[in-house]
Amino acid sequence: MSRVVKKRFPPKVRPPDARVRDFNEVVEGYDYETAVKEAGRCLKCPLWFAPCSKSCPLHVKIPSFIENIVKGDMEKAVRAVYEDNLFPSITGRVCPQEWFCEGSCVVGRIGEPVSIGLLERFIGDYARETGLEEKILEEMRVKGAPRGRVAVVGSGPAGLTAAGWLRLKGYEVDVYEALHKPGGVLAYGIPEFRLPRRVLENEVKKLEKLGVVFKLNHIVGKTVLLSELTRDYDAVFIGSGAGAPKMLEIPGIDLNNVYTANEFLTRVNLMRANLFPEWDTPITVGRTTVIIGGGNTGIDAARVALRMGSRPVIVYRRGREDMLKTARRDEVLHAEEEGVEFKYYLQPVEFIGDENGFVKAVKFEVMEPTGEVDGRGKKKIRGTGRFVEIPADTVVIAIGLEPNKLLMAETGLKFREDGTIVVDEHLMTSIPGVFAGGDAIRGESTVVEAMADGKRAAEEIDKYVSAKRKS
Amino acid sequence: MYKITGKEDLNDQDYYIEVEAPHVVRHWRPGQFVIIMVSDRGERIPMSVATVEDGRVGMFIKKLGKTSTQLYREYNVGDSIYAVAGPLGNPVPLANYGTVVLASDAVCAHAEQLGLAVELSKLGNKVISIQTFKSENEVYPDKYLAKKLVDEHYITTLDGSAGFKGHFIDLLRELLARRDVKAVYAGGALPSLKKLAEATVGKGVRVYTLVRQIMVDGTGMCGSCRVRYNGGIAYACRDGPWFDAHLVDWDDVLRRDARFKRVEKLALEKYLAR
Ligand SMILES: Cc1cc2nc3c(=O)[nH]c(=O)nc-3n(C[C@H](O)[C@H](O)[C@H](O)COP(=O)(O)OP(=O)(O)OC[C@H]3O[C@@H](n4cnc5c(N)ncnc54)[C@H](O)[C@@H]3O)c2cc1C
Ligand SMILES: Cc1cc2nc3c(=O)[nH]c(=O)nc-3n(C[C@H](O)[C@H](O)[C@H](O)COP(=O)(O)OP(=O)(O)OC[C@H]3O[C@@H](n4cnc5c(N)ncnc54)[C@H](O)[C@@H]3O)c2cc1C
Ligand code: SF4
Ligand code: SF4
Ligand code: FES
Repeated sequence: MSRVVKKRFPPKVRPPDARVRDFNEVVEGYDYETAVKEAGRCLKCPLWFAPCSKSCPLHVKIPSFIENIVKGDMEKAVRAVYEDNLFPSITGRVCPQEWFCEGSCVVGRIGEPVSIGLLERFIGDYARETGLEEKILEEMRVKGAPRGRVAVVGSGPAGLTAAGWLRLKGYEVDVYEALHKPGGVLAYGIPEFRLPRRVLENEVKKLEKLGVVFKLNHIVGKTVLLSELTRDYDAVFIGSGAGAPKMLEIPGIDLNNVYTANEFLTRVNLMRANLFPEWDTPITVGRTTVIIGGGNTGIDAARVALRMGSRPVIVYRRGREDMLKTARRDEVLHAEEEGVEFKYYLQPVEFIGDENGFVKAVKFEVMEPTGEVDGRGKKKIRGTGRFVEIPADTVVIAIGLEPNKLLMAETGLKFREDGTIVVDEHLMTSIPGVFAGGDAIRGESTVVEAMADGKRAAEEIDKYVSAKRKS
Repeated sequence: MYKITGKEDLNDQDYYIEVEAPHVVRHWRPGQFVIIMVSDRGERIPMSVATVEDGRVGMFIKKLGKTSTQLYREYNVGDSIYAVAGPLGNPVPLANYGTVVLASDAVCAHAEQLGLAVELSKLGNKVISIQTFKSENEVYPDKYLAKKLVDEHYITTLDGSAGFKGHFIDLLRELLARRDVKAVYAGGALPSLKKLAEATVGKGVRVYTLVRQIMVDGTGMCGSCRVRYNGGIAYACRDGPWFDAHLVDWDDVLRRDARFKRVEKLALEKYLAR
């Protein structure tokens, strides 16, 4: 195995002191030459074996597309990716590759794994920039009379993916989205410096060109009822996500400048409060922002706060190793480089306010590991009875999300205790013809798993509708 | 894009505006609100619904800050606004109580009165409406008042230039003493709602109030609109916007409403200076 290049070819990354001053993309990715060199590190495992492909939720045929990059046949590489993944420019940027494809790459056993994510992103961007994507998608589309009509609820990664594949299979698809912009977390949660808006907007436009119809400002359960959708369409896919913030029910939660991560990030990412007053939505960020929680959401909030001129401190109740099980590794490293401060083993017990009702500090209990681990492999912790106070004029709570209960108003749909929708092995809910996927059935998970659900649901819906037509 | 089909002054500060939004109208019930965006750079702002007719939604809006002023100044019948979403929130709990009072001292609640009056009458209630304005010249044109929709209608003005002199709370105190009022539906300035809650607690009358909180999505996704309610946390958009006044922590509501005062003022000044 001496041929193996153990070290990765690094992508272009903007230096920390420059990137913290704006919202432009941090990782600029590979140029053509570097992509080809990095692709050359892949050992071209046969597809039946390739562990990378097996551990990708979408089962992207990684060795095939990488091989074509090496050969310089970019069109073939694009085609190979599109067979399984309609949105490589998104997944290449936001997948926690270390948990999926790259985590099981065989090169990783002797050196650094192949940078599959960056290569996939390169292919996605290349297809977009050269106009290849439109051409290929149009070819992939099944022509002829529509096979049926499907309503998709929610335009996050699950909904977009389901809509795309259903359309390619020849269905008429209407996507109902509560907000004024499609994308779900991709639009309101993940900041621009990780996923530029133009990339997301392009993916949406791509679907529109295929004929997917977006019905924005439509809240299912309010504007239209699920029962109306089941009446008017052959099938329904619910990709409504897990968008409701968990609240910390501790004293002081109502103080001003205590935000949930969703409010904080939505104000900036979706509503562009960073450009206030040219854009109308306000936000107030003080000198020190304490972020509670160390998942992707907390890290994103910290890096947004930094770019708004604040000094962010992330406080996590366990240690760094456990944080890396909930946040994408690259983002943690980038946040550390940018100067985000991290404090571990602290659990918030109270927000302390000033005389005007604005937060001025957070009181924490010092925690310690018990020596045991929980079901998800994270260290169990306990309080020590010792307390510390950290001054803060802004607080962001990023302790997790749960499914939004708006659809609950409808009868018939079965939910679990935690608000997730119950589905069978075909992703069908308790209502015949209504399918669901993504965070709505999993609770907080990942973009690529939501996409994998969307894609599988499209297949299941196709089977369901075809069977119904025949009978 | 949603076309503006009507616009009219209600008084010096408040105006009526109507937009095409058939998707909102179909399931709207009194008490539910909409969220509008004037432009793609606009803020998402919640608005009560005054009228619904043939797929069109009419609102009463006060020229308060940047967005509401811009909509008034730059948009006319035939133009379109960027977004209208809804209906959001829950319908107000309505029942046959016997005698009910509708009370309002500001734009949003004057709007809500129209829908409430119709529905409460339909349910067989005797409906008394009180609408408070600062002075006579601020009283809305007749067709925008609840006058024709209710059994008894009172105007009050703070300076006494029209109708009863004083605030709706003053008149309401009298009515509560003399009449068998079973329920009150009130909205408007938050400090007067707090006062109303204090004045009616323990008096055996149900008081529902429109709790305005600063919103972003309006669907329960962000927690911006959270309210201390009955010892826990409620979201005005998802759980309200109408709440039992006696269970609302009004100091909390008032404090959170002032969150962005400083920067909002800047935005308005900057806009007016353009
Ligand atoms: C800040 C943040 C950062 C993250 N970073 C990463 C990352 O780097 N990598 C990664 O893999 N994962 C990340 N995640 C997780 C990932 O974003 C989610 O797992 C994924 O978006 C779930 O997709 P979804 O389509 O199921 O739902 P969502 O993306 O939540 O989309 C749901 C959509 O449905 C709409 N909707 C909800 N209810 C209704 C209704 N009743 N009617 C109409 N529309 C409705 C919502 O408005 C929304 O647009 C992150 C999450 C957050 C919050
Ligand atoms: C359920 C509900 C119903 C409402 N109905 C009406 C109505 O019928 N007519 C009407 O004129 N107003 C109504 N409002 C208030 C209206 O949303 C605000 O007046 C509007 O957002 C002001 O925007 P602005 O840019 O003009 O002013 P700004 O200068 O931005 O704000 C002035 C004040 O308006 C309030 N406000 C600002 N932004 C928001 C927001 N995003 N959400 C809620 N409140 C905000 C705050 O009190 C703020 O201090 C309602 C609010 C709610 C929550
Ligand atoms: S979709 Fe995500 S997990 Fe799959 S190959 Fe691409 S980057 Fe890896
Ligand atoms: S496991 Fe690694 S070396 Fe093997 S095909 Fe996948 S990327 Fe290439
Ligand atoms: S406005 Fe976001 S939760 Fe109510």
